Parts: sequence; C-alpha cells; structure tokens
Amino acid sequence: MRRFIIEREIEGASELTQEQLAGIASTSNAAAASLGVPYHWVQSYVAGDKLYCVHVAEDEETVREHARRGGFPANRVTEVATDFGPHTATSVAVAVR
Amino acid sequence: MDLLERDHERGVIGAALVSAAAGQGAGVAVVGDAGAGKSALLGSTYAADGLRVLRGGCDPLRTPRPLGPFRDVAGEAGFGPLLHGEGASLAHVCDELYDALRTRPTVLVVEDLHWVDAASVDVLRFLARRVGSMPLALLVSYRDHEIGLRHPVRPLLGDLARLDGLTTLHLSPLSVAGVGQLVAGTGLDADKVHAITGGNPFFVTEVAKDPGRPLPVSVRDAVLARTVDVDPEDLEVLQLVATAPDRLDDRVLPALGVDLPTLRRLEATGLLDRARGGLVFRHELARQALESTIPGGGAPRLHARVLDGLERIGTTEPAVLTHHAVAARDADRAVRYARAAAEEAIRAGSHTEAADFFRTALDHLDDAPPAERAELLLRLSFEQYMTSRLTEAIETVRATFPLWRDAGSDVGLAAAHETCAVYEYYNARRHRAEALVDRAADIAAEIGRGTGTGPPTGAAADPAQGTAWATRAFLAYMRNDVDRARRGLDDAARVAATGDHAQLALRTDLVRSLTALVEGDVTARGRLTDQVEAARAHGWDELASTGYSQLASLDVEQRRLRAAEQVLDASLPFTVERDIPICRHWQTAVRSRLHFAQGHWGAALEDAEDVLEREGMPVARLWPQLVAALVPLREGGTPPRRQLDTAWELASEIDEPMRRLPVLSALAESMWMTGETDPRVTEDAVREVARAADTTGMEWGVGDLAAWLVRLGLLDAWPAQVAEPFRMSAEGRAEEAASWWQRAGDSFNAAMALGDSTDPAHRTRAVEMLDQLGAGATADRQRVVLRADGVGQVPPRPRESTRANPSGLTNRQLDVARLVARGFTNAEIAARLYISPKTADHHVSAVLAKMGLSNRRAVMVRAEELGLV
Repeated sequence: MRRFIIEREIEGASELTQEQLAGIASTSNAAAASLGVPYHWVQSYVAGDKLYCVHVAEDEETVREHARRGGFPANRVTEVATDFGPHTATSVAVAVR
Repeated sequence: MDLLERDHERGVIGAALVSAAAGQGAGVAVVGDAGAGKSALLGSTYAADGLRVLRGGCDPLRTPRPLGPFRDVAGEAGFGPLLHGEGASLAHVCDELYDALRTRPTVLVVEDLHWVDAASVDVLRFLARRVGSMPLALLVSYRDHEIGLRHPVRPLLGDLARLDGLTTLHLSPLSVAGVGQLVAGTGLDADKVHAITGGNPFFVTEVAKDPGRPLPVSVRDAVLARTVDVDPEDLEVLQLVATAPDRLDDRVLPALGVDLPTLRRLEATGLLDRARGGLVFRHELARQALESTIPGGGAPRLHARVLDGLERIGTTEPAVLTHHAVAARDADRAVRYARAAAEEAIRAGSHTEAADFFRTALDHLDDAPPAERAELLLRLSFEQYMTSRLTEAIETVRATFPLWRDAGSDVGLAAAHETCAVYEYYNARRHRAEALVDRAADIAAEIGRGTGTGPPTGAAADPAQGTAWATRAFLAYMRNDVDRARRGLDDAARVAATGDHAQLALRTDLVRSLTALVEGDVTARGRLTDQVEAARAHGWDELASTGYSQLASLDVEQRRLRAAEQVLDASLPFTVERDIPICRHWQTAVRSRLHFAQGHWGAALEDAEDVLEREGMPVARLWPQLVAALVPLREGGTPPRRQLDTAWELASEIDEPMRRLPVLSALAESMWMTGETDPRVTEDAVREVARAADTTGMEWGVGDLAAWLVRLGLLDAWPAQVAEPFRMSAEGRAEEAASWWQRAGDSFNAAMALGDSTDPAHRTRAVEMLDQLGAGATADRQRVVLRADGVGQVPPRPRESTRANPSGLTNRQLDVARLVARGFTNAEIAARLYISPKTADHHVSAVLAKMGLSNRRAVMVRAEELGLV
C-alpha cells in the first residue's frame, strides 16, 4: 500500500461549513467502500481554495477512481516519498554526524 | 494505430486548425455512416496541436438534452449558467460562448449531430456565421443517412454548404488495400473481410481483434464476440452502461454496486471508456449491440436501478432522468421529469424538444384530473406553435375544450378559445378565429354575470373577457374595421382599468395607436414606438414584437420605406433573439415586400424564399408569394400563374382588404404584362376597388390597384380617395408623382408613373429607368405600348454591362454595399458583420461585379441614386 497526497481545487473551499464537510466525508466514505479494494482515507486539510487529502491505496489509478465516484476533483495526485518532523530531528543529526 | 486512407481529410482539418490558431477560424463537418471513423479522424487531428480542445457530443436519448453538447464543454470553456445546470436563454448562451471562444484559440468538437437538439443547432449556426472572425476550429460530425427532411439540423447543414470557411468531408469506406493493412498479420483474408464489412473501419477493426473466430456476419456479432468470456454479473454491468447513451455517471457506481475489480475485468473487453464523468462505450455501435442482449422485460429493472442511483446523487439533467423513467415504465416519475425537462428546454429555446417532453408527460398521465391534462395540452400547443406546427397546435388546443368543461372551468375554457382564435388567425382562417374569440368573450361574460361555472364571479373572469375583447379588436383592426376595433378597445380598456392588468392595458393602447395609424394619423408612430419600448422593458416580448411587426407593415403599406427599414433593422434581430416565430416570419415577409418596393429584387426573393420554405404561419406567406411571382415577371417576363393562384386563395381565406387588394394588383400587373385576360381582374378587381375606396386606411391599396386598372383600360375614372402620389397621377401630374416615388425610394413606381404620362419624353425616360432597375420585361412591355402608340425614338435595350444597380444583391451583399457606400474599409466591414477580412473582400468584389461598378469609390459617389443610403 502506498500513501498519496491529493490536491483538490475547490473555489471557496475555506468557506465550506461543517455540514458541507460532513456531507463530503460521507460521500467519500461511500466511494471508498464501493471500490472493492483496500482503501484508507487518512486525513484531509482545507487551505485556501484547496483540499489536501492523504489517502492510502494500491496505486494512483485507485485514488483517481475514488475521486470519480465521489465527484471530487483530483487536480494533482502525488505519492508521498517519505515523511519527517520534529521527532526525526535526532535520528537525522545522528546520521549526519 | 495510424489512420488509413484519410490523408486528404486530415489535411483539410489540419489547415482549419492552423487557420484558427492564426485568428481566422474555419469549420469542418465530417460525414459518414456509423463506424466510418468520424471520431477517430477528428481525434487524430487535434490531439497533436497546442490548441485548447473542447469536446461535446449529442446522445441518442429518447429526446435529446437541450444544449447537451454545450453543457458538456461549459466547465472547461468557463461559461457559467450551463455549468451549474441552471436554465439559460439561447441568446445568453450565444453571448457567453462567443466571449469564451473569442479570446483563446480553440478547437470545438461537436459529434453526432444526427442526435442534436434544436437549441444547439441555433448556437452552432451562430458560431458558423462568425467563425471567420474568431480563433476557432469548429469540427462537427454526423451520419447523413439519419437526417430526414424535417430534421432540426438541416438549416445548419445548409450553412455549412453555403458559408465561406466551412468544409464538408464525406468519409468513404476503406479499400481492399486498406482492409489488408488493418488485418495484416492476423491471417485473415482482406478480400473476404472487405466483402463482409463493406470496408467499414469500425467493423474491420473489431473483426481483426479476434481473428481466431469464424468471421462475424454483422457488427453486432463482432462486438458481442468480445463478451463471450464475460461472466453473467459482469455482462449485466455492460448492460447497465448500455441503458445510458449519454454516460453512466461515475458517481452512481457505488449505488449500483460496481466495484473496481469488475471494471478492471471489463477493461479486457476493450468496449468501455471513461468520458464526461462517466462510463461510456467506445462506440455507439457497441452500445447498441450490448443493449440488444438485454432480455425482454429486463430493461425496466436496469433503468430503474440507474434512475435510483441518479436521484441519489442529485442529477440535474431532467432529460436524462426522463429517459430512464420512461424506460423503467415509472409513469409518475416520467411525468415529473418530462415536465421539468420541458421547462428546461423552453428556457434553452429548444422548442422541438419541449414539445416532445410535454407529449411524453401526457402519454404517462394516467388518471390525472382533466384540468391538469388540459393545462399540459395548452403548454404543448404553445410549443407546437413555436415550432411552426400550427395545425397540430390548433388540434391540441381544441382537445382541451371538453376537458375544461369536465373540470367545470369556464375561465380555462374562455382562455383556450382565445388561444385557439389566435392560432387560427395565424393559420389564415380569420372567420374561424373571429367565431372563436366571440365565443371566448361570451363564456367570459357569463362568468362575469355569475352564471358560468368554475371559480366564482367577478374579478377572476374580467381579465379573460378583457383579453378576448382585445383580441377581437386586433382582428377588427387587421381588416380595417376601425369602428369595431375601437369599440373592442374601449371594452378591454374598461376591464384593464378595474385592476392590476398592466399588460392588457398596454396591449389595448398599442392596438389603439395602430388603429390611428391605419386612419392616417402619423403622430401615432411616436406613441407606438414608446409602447413597444414599454413592452420590451416589462419583458412582454410577444407584445413588443407584435407592435414592431404591425408598425413595419404599415410603414411599408404607407410607403415610409426608410422608416420601415429602421424598424426592421431593430426588430428582426429581436424576434430571433427572443424566439418569436410568427413575428420573425411576418417581419421577414414585410422586409421582402420592402426590398421589392425598393427594387432590391435579389434580396426580396431571398426573404420571400426564406418564409416560403418554412412550413406554417400561412398568414405571413402572402407577400412572399407575390414577390416570388412578380420579381421573375418584371425581370424576365415569366408568367406567374401558380404563385398568384395560391396567393389569391390565401387572400380569400384571410379576407381582409389590406391583403386582398395587393393580390388583385399583382393579378392586374400580370394581365398587363402578358395580355392574358383574367376574370379576377376584369370582374373582382373592378368591383373591389370601388368597394374598398370607402374603407378607412385603404388609400394606398386602392391607388395601386386603380393605377393598374387604368393602364389596362378597365377603369374610367380614378377613385376619389387615393394616396398622394396616386392622386398626382390621377390628376395627370406624372413628373410630380415620379419625383414623389423617387424620394420615397420606390424607383419602379417612379418609372411607372412617368410611363403613365402622355408626354413621349416621360415615357421613354420610364423605359430607361426600368432597364436601369433590372425590370427588363416591364421595360420591354412599355416599349411595345410606346410603339403601338406610334411613339418614335423608343430607347433600345441596354447592353448588359451598362447597368449599375443593386437589384441582384442578396441581403448580405446589400449590407456590405451599404457599408461600402458609407466609406468603410474591408477590415471595418469584417468587424461589423463578424466575418473575416478575406470574406469581406470576397463580398465587396461580388457586390461590385453584380452592380457593374469598377471600384468602391463609384459606390460611394452613386450611393444615393442606387438607394444605398
């Protein structure tokens, strides 16, 4: 399974209400459930006129199929290469030294 | 895969793309049978180019989606209302599309026009006329064998054949050699495959995919060969997709239980594709093949599943929902969606489809109350009227009469009678129309007195009665019965004053102004234009347009030709924009008469043919018939038997003096030209000119007919009441009469007035003027009369090259000639007429050649004399 970041351009995304976001979530869950293959929606972030979603799936095509079924745009789908954060600072430092 | 044997076609389309990228657009229509490779050809050409590509398609739904192909591209093209499924007027869509396509080089592809809706045809015609001035490659495709005589796409195909910058490509089947290339390496025999497939590229390709099997005998067999290994559950998914000719929306897949592994298995068949937000078959032939495998009785269940799914995702396309509801045999939903689809079609200006949807709704309206059925029938009848199917519209309204009675609604019954009266009048049955409107007024009067049935007394009944009275007054005005018109208007105005009936009040005022104008009160013109403006401001388009129609008509009748030109310049585009067919036909007919009076024979004939070619609206056909008869008579001496007989029958049905007298004048002119005695002239005309002489507002018609009867020696004395230029002729002031006509812009009558003179110099001048006008046969006839009267010095026939006149110009060329006369350059003309400078250049050359002038300066210098300013 691979992890993807999906950028969805939605004008006025930041103005979406909690009810609207709930509706989108339920559509997304139904779309994921209908795929008949392993699929995991991890988390989504609303920022400006975009949604940034983190999904786990077998491949990019499955991510796009999920978007089609949900009626969502998927302007850019990028596989996550790796992640890091404050908690990884030490290990990196050690590795450099 | 390379495209075989399409090099020429690819070259043509490639050239269109290059030209579009350079800002001077072009259009290409690709024509061929199903499977001929239309989509493949189009796809192969624009794929490589850097232009923006917008793809829209038409679908084989029971009734097409109004503006379907433009809805498909709305999102990408960035034009608003259609994108959100909102209703948008045709004019608005055209404007938005024009703006969206003007700024950025674009390939617009609209496939499968044999399934197109009427509104989309209008939009495409709008683009086709302007394509030369836009950075647009307009690529369309259709199957010519599926386009019958009354198909809505016909006018567009006419444009494609006629307009500059548009090309039509007919795709021929592949040769044996071509088939050989496609089946190379499969072991199949090219000759055999060619014989079975007829060289149909789609068929050949399907055969080549499965060379191991026995050769299929049909496309269907070839397609179904792809499905032999598909299990029954997966086959049902293919059948579900086949129920949706537009597409199976991706969003309904969860509701239908179609998972990703299933889609991946089906991918192996090579039959499906993803497009327009859904699953589609790669080819319509494949869809039909799969549809044919749905077992008898199985289709309703499949459609019901799709319909449920579409409802769940909130689909906003009622045309699609109607398609599935009807096929699912779900009457309630069929009625609901068909009504919604009809409303959407009306907003889009797609009246053919609106009528179809209302018909669908009526077919599924099982136990509805009579008033509901009657109301739907009335809506249907209006759409039939809008599509020039008047006879059907009248039948449909008449079918509501018993229903309103069953429903106990006299208000409905009165309104239906009034509507039917209007349609009967447009159908040229004036007497029937008057009987119906009288009945409408009686029914309404009974409600007013409280003796009728239905909603109780008083206020509800009054508007119905006022409307009936106003219609009755209008019909009286049309037959110059000003007293009766005025009484009807007084009655209607009283009703209008009792409440909030602003439209009725304005309508009454407008007909009152028209009546005054008939009586010769020219100051009524100003009031009339104010009233038309007021109607426009309120959005009462039909009332505004009727005002324009009548104003233009009276302006021509009373020989205010330049004023008529101005009115029609403003009003004809309005009738097209607001989609009011009766007024468009009527005004085109009036313009035909106007051009005729101005000696613009070519443009007059063009307008006349335009009206005569359209079926319906018989009341508007009279002048076009006269023009179609008299232009060839004046130009070439062709005797006009048939058209004048038809016109006379029509005038007898309408039975109004303003319509009867011009036909009698035409018959008299024909008799004068051919020398064949016609009892309609020697008897009817002589009698009617005397009778009409006492009728208000007939000074022009009487004068014109009297002039011909005097020339024929059938009238001893002129009637007392004739219009000014005729009075001059009657009093022997031929020169004054001729200059009056010349000032009015009617050179033919100017020449004829001089010809009536006793002075031989006037008469020879008349012959020269007629030659100049291109009325060669009339000039010849005058020569015969001159010689018979012993006048020497009869002017000889001119050589062809010495004529300079705009009589042969078409409407478009006349527009160009007027702009040339005003000193515009080709670039300025191109900008004003939405054409490319090259096309403008062609037009200018054609105009100069037809007028026999060597350069544009000559047009400017002689503009006044040629009637171009």
